[in-house]
Amino acid sequence: MTKASKIAFGLAAALLSTTSLALAEDTTITFIQCGDSVDPTYPPFISEWESKNPGFKVNIEPVGWDQCQDKVTTLAAAGNPPDLAYVGSRTLKQFASNDLIVPVPMSDADKAGYYPNIPDTVTFQGNQWGIPVAFSTKALYWNKDLFKAAGLDPEKPPLTWEEELADAKAIKEKTNIAGFGIVAKTFDNTMHQFMHWVYTNNGKVIDADGKIVLDSPENLEALTALKAMVPYAEEGPTAYEQNEVRAIFLDGKIGMIHASVGAVNKLKDAKFAWGVTNLPLGPHAKGPGTLLITDSLAIFKGTGHEEKATDLAKFLTNPDNQFKYEVSNGLTPLRPVPGVKDLVAKDPSWKPFLEGISFGGPEPLFLDYKGFQDVMINMVQSVVTGAAEPADALKKAAADLEQYK
Amino acid sequence: MNHERGARMFAYALLAPAVLYVAAIVAWPLVQEVQLSFTNAGLAKTYSYVGFDNYTKIFRSGFGEIIWRTFTWTFFSVSFKMIIGTCGALMLNVALPGRAIFRTLTLLPWIVPMAIGIFMWGWMYNGQFGMISGLLQNFGITSGPVAFLAHGDTGYWATVMTDVWIGTPMVTFYFLAAIQSIPRDLYEAAWVDGAGRAYRFRRITLPMMVPAILTMSIISLISTFNSFDIIWILTHGGPNGETTTMVIDTYKVAIGSYKYGEGAARSVMVGLCLGVFCLFYFRLVNRLSSAEQL
Repeated sequence: MTKASKIAFGLAAALLSTTSLALAEDTTITFIQCGDSVDPTYPPFISEWESKNPGFKVNIEPVGWDQCQDKVTTLAAAGNPPDLAYVGSRTLKQFASNDLIVPVPMSDADKAGYYPNIPDTVTFQGNQWGIPVAFSTKALYWNKDLFKAAGLDPEKPPLTWEEELADAKAIKEKTNIAGFGIVAKTFDNTMHQFMHWVYTNNGKVIDADGKIVLDSPENLEALTALKAMVPYAEEGPTAYEQNEVRAIFLDGKIGMIHASVGAVNKLKDAKFAWGVTNLPLGPHAKGPGTLLITDSLAIFKGTGHEEKATDLAKFLTNPDNQFKYEVSNGLTPLRPVPGVKDLVAKDPSWKPFLEGISFGGPEPLFLDYKGFQDVMINMVQSVVTGAAEPADALKKAAADLEQYK
Repeated sequence: MNHERGARMFAYALLAPAVLYVAAIVAWPLVQEVQLSFTNAGLAKTYSYVGFDNYTKIFRSGFGEIIWRTFTWTFFSVSFKMIIGTCGALMLNVALPGRAIFRTLTLLPWIVPMAIGIFMWGWMYNGQFGMISGLLQNFGITSGPVAFLAHGDTGYWATVMTDVWIGTPMVTFYFLAAIQSIPRDLYEAAWVDGAGRAYRFRRITLPMMVPAILTMSIISLISTFNSFDIIWILTHGGPNGETTTMVIDTYKVAIGSYKYGEGAARSVMVGLCLGVFCLFYFRLVNRLSSAEQL
């Protein structure tokens, strides 16, 4: 072999080796994560997973919350889905029924690892279609100073809707400040907030057989109770979504709100005394309830990496990693892992957010989620603005929902 | 003869790139859109033709009310822009000290990025923290906070006023240019004949501005009819759908609910409505031009 051919052979070998290395590295799992940046807890998890899965690389693409859901859906509809994406669990039925995602079945042991009712948030036709990754519940926050100013016992929050209404009325009449914060803007959390009333009165929107049961005595009581709150709420509730109502509460201009655990952090510098407790209950309640909102990791069909993407999703959401993610992001824990006890002991304000889970319910799953959401928002707005009576609004909404189930 | 034919072919050859360009970026997508409007296209990978189902669905869903709202919203917004724009142009044309500053200030709503301007108005309309509600309370006009975007009527007018605020600078400057192009000697002759300010405005300025007013009104009409950002950011079409215009409705169906077929049918309706509107407009312009020639 001449020197020149040796060099040529060497170069060819080097080229081949780098090509094969590049080919191996080319298997990229694309993961769309909602948020402005990659969650800081993820990079170490990803590195660990990549070291256990040589030849696979994970590319996390953070997408702002406003566009995240639409981007994932548009990519999937265009036949160019990511391997894995963070989605609201409410969209899973729509994705599944359009054959865009693969099921991620949970064993009985997997299900038992979660708090009750959590697996229901991702279940459709007996199958699980995503892995829960973020969880939110609500509780009642009250302004103790306003309670005092209204002549109420600041240490005695309302336990029932009746007491909640009476307290809101007292605050409004004695202080001329809104007693309760109603959320009714043309925004998704108007539907979420109404679902808290539904689940604190043992109500439902759609049953396990897919029958619309919105027009029920329990839900009529819920909508009637909400309407009764209007005179004692902030002026023009249809202008405010939940974060805006929370801002008014933080400003000391609302007596009570239903909000997530995120408000606890915001209230640390509050200039008034406050408390947080279980959501007040309606006459048909069987125990503390709340809407259980989860986001999930969904695995998209037709990428050729479904198996690996599922493996990655399960790794990211295993009990240890998931709890670290929850603590880092201040999310309600999905599983009663040992760390939860320490969390509650350290900060007892977590208690009501966990107690409501037992009688809570999922976001109802519909084939057209946005259609469902719009019907619910219109129903709430028509009642809040006085354009319709609760019974009529409920009947109309129930009929409108039939097309979306 | 051959020379004539050759010249015609040369003209077609010169036109061809532009025709191809328009066909590719306007005509073809339009044909596709019309085709899509007869399908049930959505998130599923396949779709089928459904005839006129999407169009019949539109009229079963209260679309007539949305069309009417779109026309009135456009009418009020364009009218205000034309009136304020004319007044503004006349004032900016007056030789006053500091005129350049006034002209720059007039441009501000146009200089500020549109989304930022809209959010700013959103805060001003806020009942709890907003400036307008605060002023009304301070002056004792209202006894408590007023959330302008919470009610159908105030929400409607709030969106109109925001659109007027954003759109008026362009109208003003276009009209100012038109006024400045009117020959000075016409005014001098009228002044010599003893014509007053109002007379000069009515008989010289306004007639000479007609072409500019007609051009600007059609540009403004089309952009206002298709206005999306303002209503979407301020109200999302609410409350109770009372600020939902045709474009907002189309977006909600096509992009919000991923019903591409139904959404395409709605956007075809938007195009048809605008087409009919423009047809009447150009007939009116032609009639005015003919009358002028007589």
